[in-house]
Amino acid sequence: MTWTKQMNNRKPPMIIRLWHSLWVTLRHAWARRETVSYPEVKRPLPGRWRGRIVLTRDPDGEERCVACYLCSAVCPVDCIHLQAQQRDDGRRYPVTFRIDFSRCIFCGFCEEACPTLAIQLTPDFEMCEQHHSSLVYEKKQLLIDGQGKYPGYNFYHHAGVAVPGKTIGEADRDTPPVDHDTNLP
Amino acid sequence: MLGIIRIDGHEIPFEPGDNLLKVALAADVDIPYFCYHAALGSVGACRLCAVEIMSDDPDKVPRVAMACLEPASDGLEVSVSAPAAQQVRQRVIEFLMINHPHDCPICDEGGECHLQEMTVACGPAYRRYQGHKRTFTNQNLGPLVHHEMNRCITCYRCTRFYQDYALGDDLGAMRLRNEVYFGRFQDGPLESPFAGNLVEICPTGVFTDAIFRQHFTRVWDLKTASSICPHCSVGCNILPGARDGTLRRVRHRPHPEINRWFICDRGRYGHQYSEHTARPLTPRVAGATITYRKALIAATEQIKAAGDRIGGLGSIREDLEGNALLRALLNNLNGIFSAFNDPELEAATITAVNRIQNSDGTPSLTEMEQVDAALILGDLTAHAPMIDLALRQAYRRGAQLTVLHNGPTPLTQFAVTTLPVPPHEMGAYLSRLHERITASPASKDVQDESTAEIAERLAAARRPLLIGVVETLAASEIIALAQLATALGTDARLAYALPGANAYGAALLTLASRKTTTILEAIETGQIQTLIVAGTDPLGDTRLGSRWRAACQRLNTLIVLDCIATTTTAAADILFPVAAWAERGGTFVNYEGRAQGFAPAFKRLELLPSTAEVIADLVQCLDLYLPDAPAVLSEAFPGYQAPVPGSAGSLMPVHPLPTHIDTATRSDHEHHHKHWQAALTTWYGDEELASFAPALMKLAPTATALISPAAALNANIEEGAQVKLRGPVGTMTLPVQLDNRVADGTVALTRMALVQLGVGHGDLLELEPVS
Ligand code: SF4
Ligand code: SF4
Ligand code: SF4
Ligand code: SF4
Ligand code: FES
Repeated sequence: MTWTKQMNNRKPPMIIRLWHSLWVTLRHAWARRETVSYPEVKRPLPGRWRGRIVLTRDPDGEERCVACYLCSAVCPVDCIHLQAQQRDDGRRYPVTFRIDFSRCIFCGFCEEACPTLAIQLTPDFEMCEQHHSSLVYEKKQLLIDGQGKYPGYNFYHHAGVAVPGKTIGEADRDTPPVDHDTNLP
Repeated sequence: MLGIIRIDGHEIPFEPGDNLLKVALAADVDIPYFCYHAALGSVGACRLCAVEIMSDDPDKVPRVAMACLEPASDGLEVSVSAPAAQQVRQRVIEFLMINHPHDCPICDEGGECHLQEMTVACGPAYRRYQGHKRTFTNQNLGPLVHHEMNRCITCYRCTRFYQDYALGDDLGAMRLRNEVYFGRFQDGPLESPFAGNLVEICPTGVFTDAIFRQHFTRVWDLKTASSICPHCSVGCNILPGARDGTLRRVRHRPHPEINRWFICDRGRYGHQYSEHTARPLTPRVAGATITYRKALIAATEQIKAAGDRIGGLGSIREDLEGNALLRALLNNLNGIFSAFNDPELEAATITAVNRIQNSDGTPSLTEMEQVDAALILGDLTAHAPMIDLALRQAYRRGAQLTVLHNGPTPLTQFAVTTLPVPPHEMGAYLSRLHERITASPASKDVQDESTAEIAERLAAARRPLLIGVVETLAASEIIALAQLATALGTDARLAYALPGANAYGAALLTLASRKTTTILEAIETGQIQTLIVAGTDPLGDTRLGSRWRAACQRLNTLIVLDCIATTTTAAADILFPVAAWAERGGTFVNYEGRAQGFAPAFKRLELLPSTAEVIADLVQCLDLYLPDAPAVLSEAFPGYQAPVPGSAGSLMPVHPLPTHIDTATRSDHEHHHKHWQAALTTWYGDEELASFAPALMKLAPTATALISPAAALNANIEEGAQVKLRGPVGTMTLPVQLDNRVADGTVALTRMALVQLGVGHGDLLELEPVS
């Protein structure tokens, strides 16, 4: 017992130890590097990375956001401010939409709450600014021209209200409207 | 006799006749429900309120019943949490949801939706049904209420309110089976003055507030505060909601003795005045915008220069604090104060307040619902809409209404007797009625049958109500109505619809009548150099507008404090824009003499002090010493305690008012065959503040000259013909509309027309057909 312990604890001779360290160093000098020289080289980020928030459009190119206020309600740091407005044709949209990225903690709750898939977090974290106020993004900075991560969804095709291109009774799985002026079946 | 029921082990007392749901809700035990409403009762339409009821016989299985239809009986064992009841409720929600649209994100009800809450509380979390949904088209119901019929759950609350409770007839249920539709026969604005209540009564988003929709905000983002409606003397309790420095909507706030669950559309939609684009928001001196500080300095200089040659006009729509401080300032400067700008209105209001203080209490709205006969003088719907709704409840309970009116008024539909009386003959008619009631049976002549009938009906009633609209009555007629009440005995109740939200308080502060005339004459003779006007529009008055305009030319300085753009603010030398009611705190005294406090719901971005604050700042600049508003008020009214906003309010201490009334105020001219009496015809949206609400104004009736068919025949005028009206100030041409609710020899005109002609209610004008 004591003998084995003594054997294990015995250090290799100094020269061996030195050569070993040198060898490790040399090996690493030619190993594949994990560190990249950011910002010249950028790492690919996973698609579900929670970074800069955008507002997307539906397949018809219309704003997806219907100004339902759910994202601003769920946001734990209260950094989303918006104001709803009604278009004459019946579509509702946010007339202002403001996110204060100096407060945002990129938790993604807003994206989870959004019933229209409008608000989405993107794999972009490069948002440094000199001033606080430049981190407050207005709608024009948030609204992008694409559908983001969730292509194909159009909220109004499921809702019951009439919008241009879809009258009442034309949503997916709707029947044509009842004629309430008659009692005939 | 009280009984006890047991709900899930809790012992709950009940009144006989109550149903289980009512008992449970009163005891704060939650039973889910949709169609039950305290004001509308139970119908059992929604089937959500299922509970399990144990049988007396232990061998029998418990049964599931609808709590809203099951009378409470002593010893009943009820379970809300029983699995059988829970399952029924879950299925009911699931069925209601089958056709429900995928609308919550764009539905204005979301966040305060009864259906959302009940679905979360009882329903399944996910939709199982994947079939097709039934849909409905929507109707255009006018500028106030938005219709989205797909969201209906057929609880029938809307028609039960609209038809059964508010006695409207243009909204109802159509079709059958699962296709029941709630709407009008045809698109068009809802006609009831209480239509806006559909927004609150509908548990889903079928009926939503069309004004709120234009700048929609979820309920959790709204800043609210207990407030009082500023649009008439009833003093309904309301809850204004604001966000980002703008007022978004107004809802009812229950007051057990006043409005309970409802408010009228003027109260709900009139608030748009405070967001009107023409509203003055920056101080002006001689037409140039200026800072508040500089405006104060300018006003101070002028007031100092005027010395005691100063007058002040408070207002019937200005709060008690603003009026009281203005009066205190003027007393300090030896100036004259009145809260009225029309001597006849001043005399009438002070008389009415005096009569109310000498009677044993004016009935509250809930008491008015219990009367069994009522004599109504004037158009209550336009001057105190919620009193109209209370009397509709009395009518539903069998009360017999008698309406004496000069022009059209919606209450005539429900009256047993309606009698068009020309403004000048109202006094005489009331004394005839008085004679009939007091005369011994033998001496009663049988000539005048309708008078006899009215008199008998009032005398036979156990709880008669006599109510008059002060704005369309002269002081003498107000006294006559009070005498009638005395003649009818102690059970008769007396009430007056006063001309403004704080008319009662204004009358108490003005004290003696004829103050207004004194001020006007003093300006005309140059004894007043500086006039401070707080929240009123003398220059735009119907009868005296032109005289005020001429008089104010003689002033050195006209200092105006107001929150709307009026003729007076346009003529102001120094203008202080002040906070609108939802932006400040204060007190209004309603038609009963009930002082009710209101709290500020929000602040606008602009610096807008209240009237009382502007006056306090002026006092400071003038180096005067004046106590603050509460101190001024408790000095003026010993025993007065400022009512806390949100409380039930407190009656104003009785305050001696002059009983001497100068009754000769009604301008009596020679009757000429060309002369007609002008009568003010208004509608429920017509009020100084609410007339700045664009949506409400879309419903305003078109200006016509209303005359009775008989008078038209006499004068050889046909329906639709143009007539030229000539008043002391101007002329105008209007199309004639025949209406048999207009009194003989009377032409009923809108307020705008009266202003243009320069006549008041009851004044004479000339009318001739345009050939
Ligand atoms: S990521 Fe989180 S903190 Fe940022 S906006 Fe969304 S909810 Fe708010
Ligand atoms: S949750 Fe979505 S739809 Fe609603 S306001 Fe936010 S981004 Fe717009
Ligand atoms: S009525 Fe209620 S449940 Fe239906 S869409 Fe509107 S908010 Fe949602
Ligand atoms: S419209 Fe509203 S109140 Fe009327 S039945 Fe439908 S859900 Fe009930
Ligand atoms: S509340 Fe009882 S059935 Fe609707």
